[in-house]
Amino acid sequence: MESTKVKTSAEKLAEKEGITFYRINSEKFKTNRVDIFFLDRLERQRASANAIIPSVLKRGCRDFATQRELETRLEELYGAVVDGGCGKRGETQCISFHMSHIAEGYTSRQDKLFDQCSQLLMCILQNPVVEDNGFKVPVFRQERDNLIDHIRSRINDKMRFSFLRCLEEMCSGEAYAIPDEGYEEDALLLTPQKTFGIYQEMISSYPGFVYMSGSIDDESAHRFIEQFSRLPRTNPGRVGFTDNTKTVKEVRRVDETMNINQGKLCLGFRTNVIPSSPDYYPLVVYNGILGGDVHSKLFQNVREKASLAYYAQSVLEKYKGLMVIMSGIEQENRDKAEEIILRQFEDMREGRITQEELDATKKSLRTGIKTMQDSQGAIVDFFFSQHLTQDGEDFESMAQKLESVTIDDVVRVAGRIQLDTIYFLKPDNVQS
Amino acid sequence: MDYKTITYNRLGETLYEYDHPAGLKAFLVKKTGYNKKTALFATDYGSIDNVFEKSDGQVMQVPDGIAHFLEHKLFEQEDGNMLDKFSKMGSSPNAFTAFNQTAYHFSCTDLFEDNFRMLLDYVQNPWLTDENVEKEKGIIAQEIRMYEDSPDWRLFFNLLDCLYVNHPVKLDIAGTVESISKINKELLYDCYNTFYTPSNMVVVVAGDVEPELVFKTVDNMIKSKDGGKPEKRYPEEPETVNMEYKEQKLRVSMPLFNMGIKDPVRLAGYDLLKRRTALGIILASIMGRSSELFNRLYYDGLINDSFRFDASVDQSYGFVNWGGQSSDPNRVAQEIRREIDSTVENGIGPDVFERIKRSHEGVFVRTLNSPDIIAREMMDSYFNKTSYFDLSRVYEELDIDYTNSVLRDLFTKTTALSVINPI
Repeated sequence: MESTKVKTSAEKLAEKEGITFYRINSEKFKTNRVDIFFLDRLERQRASANAIIPSVLKRGCRDFATQRELETRLEELYGAVVDGGCGKRGETQCISFHMSHIAEGYTSRQDKLFDQCSQLLMCILQNPVVEDNGFKVPVFRQERDNLIDHIRSRINDKMRFSFLRCLEEMCSGEAYAIPDEGYEEDALLLTPQKTFGIYQEMISSYPGFVYMSGSIDDESAHRFIEQFSRLPRTNPGRVGFTDNTKTVKEVRRVDETMNINQGKLCLGFRTNVIPSSPDYYPLVVYNGILGGDVHSKLFQNVREKASLAYYAQSVLEKYKGLMVIMSGIEQENRDKAEEIILRQFEDMREGRITQEELDATKKSLRTGIKTMQDSQGAIVDFFFSQHLTQDGEDFESMAQKLESVTIDDVVRVAGRIQLDTIYFLKPDNVQS
Repeated sequence: MDYKTITYNRLGETLYEYDHPAGLKAFLVKKTGYNKKTALFATDYGSIDNVFEKSDGQVMQVPDGIAHFLEHKLFEQEDGNMLDKFSKMGSSPNAFTAFNQTAYHFSCTDLFEDNFRMLLDYVQNPWLTDENVEKEKGIIAQEIRMYEDSPDWRLFFNLLDCLYVNHPVKLDIAGTVESISKINKELLYDCYNTFYTPSNMVVVVAGDVEPELVFKTVDNMIKSKDGGKPEKRYPEEPETVNMEYKEQKLRVSMPLFNMGIKDPVRLAGYDLLKRRTALGIILASIMGRSSELFNRLYYDGLINDSFRFDASVDQSYGFVNWGGQSSDPNRVAQEIRREIDSTVENGIGPDVFERIKRSHEGVFVRTLNSPDIIAREMMDSYFNKTSYFDLSRVYEELDIDYTNSVLRDLFTKTTALSVINPI
């Protein structure tokens, strides 16, 4: 059988009242899915309310009044999934809703699964259970408590915790420092009415993106889009922008202690490169050479040569233009690790980059772009990210841009990157 | 080439199967239209295999964590590190050690054949020196230290420590900083020579490649002679639990709990797949998201979205477990125990059974979107003497009477509870 290489593209089907609809068709997956994103500026006043909305909506709607009824229905629909969440991309908060079900050919009965599942999704979005002009009190309170527990539980994962703390310290005073789910103190002040009010704002005016993927015919797609015309859209807003203008005056050091065994070292950098800049693709290559994969300078020098760590890597935050290097080390090796890490950073800046390093990174990025197209979730994420930064790249054009990056480009970008904050989560040495 | 083709029409999948004369089995799951090609080369040897009989009949006991240590070391070759070689071709190599298997794999989009040859070559050619073994101790020690700080990991292993008296499944996969200090080149070679033999291994490829290419490459590259299936030794495990409760204090925001039951029934093949599937349905009926219990505990604020359950069934061990965050683990444990008892008493009803079975079948179909999951499940099921695709038949044949008999058989046994409390 001859394999067919089809271009993965997001076909724009409609744009109505600030919501843009795309279809990503592909026959190779056994599932269909819908992803809805509502966007808001990341601001303290609304961050916690935005975060709690999907959790409350998942608890029931007009047609399925309780979570139990909803979950029972999803099981009947061959283990379909309806979910929601909230996270930030740069200084934009994204409230997301998601539906997926197995494609009709794989069920033993003839069901119109796409219609049934998308109706369910629209029901939780449009018709929450309401009393006294607010969300139902017990449901609201439980989800508020859950949100607070969730915010508190970020200390459980030490690697992620130190990464987030580093970014927060670095961006202190900027909107980006607000956590994905807002703050505990703000969550405590929310009421069912106030939160319902923010929900209504989301429905009526937050800009939105909708993606349908799988094999969805025109008729089903348009029937689904039609359901959005029932939303009371008035005065839709525009996607906000992320402030990337701050420059570093002085490197900050932040040490915190915790009852743990392994120290976590995080170095936060400002790349001074915005996603729409021509320097963005050299930055991606830069990050790959420095700490993106097993061939990278950090992995090779911190782990393989010095045996100081199990992990040593760098990650980019695309929208805000940040980079964090992280590694888990013994406390007594802190200075040594920091020195080796900073030497790699200097080597990048001074152009000590081999053609081999560049080639390996580019190949690995190319593989990454191709494999993304084998996952429906990754495809949606890719296009959403492009739409958010209004880049308009597709997989092929992005691959080409990365391919054309030279060592000179990488060195030019390296010269712009500034160390901002060194964060160390230190074991306090009193653990039994 | 002499290979078998099996088509699963209902699932829209084709499996190719080849038997190498040295005793190695190779599979290809063809994923037409996928860019990603995944290959995995694995041995039926994991962290639980620390007592075994060598080919000369001598019984050996090796330090805990040695299978995992060997996994790290195989990447090292005389002419450089394999990780570098794969990454120079743009592919991503990795490996993992589980209780019962060690697998080496890569995924790529281009140059599949070159990558595949490299995989088959390096796993057959260990290159160990006193120096490179010593160097690895520092890296693995940091991996162990990282897990010591992971509450979920500690919670899970403390539960296994509660459930098991003797079985090595209770031991940390990477061992301890102390146990790995005893590992040396000679011990590693003993383990390698015993377990890395063709008939103890499997090759699985998932992706848009041709069977001739895969099996010809296997044919050319497998050099080792068959050393037979090694003799593994597991200690006698009593039906009773080691202890009913274990607690540890770590820096967490609220208590975490994990609760479970040890399954004393040892199966292999289709029967194992069937029991595992039935256990999944039982757990979902009792405590799944559509259950009365889950919703009551959630509504009372005793559990939250982090609640999960799972059934692990292997030829040499088996258990069911569930848990998450809770402000009051002991009360949750009591409520769950009470609900288990009443479900055992009344049995699972036909409507619930059919609905959950259908939903779990849907989840199975979803996994077929991922070449990585397929490759891993094919390996795991092969070592357990069955095939992942037979799950389709299991879902057709599994009935409520069998499921209720498994329920009555297993869920009357003692539960153990592991708790991590905040410092």
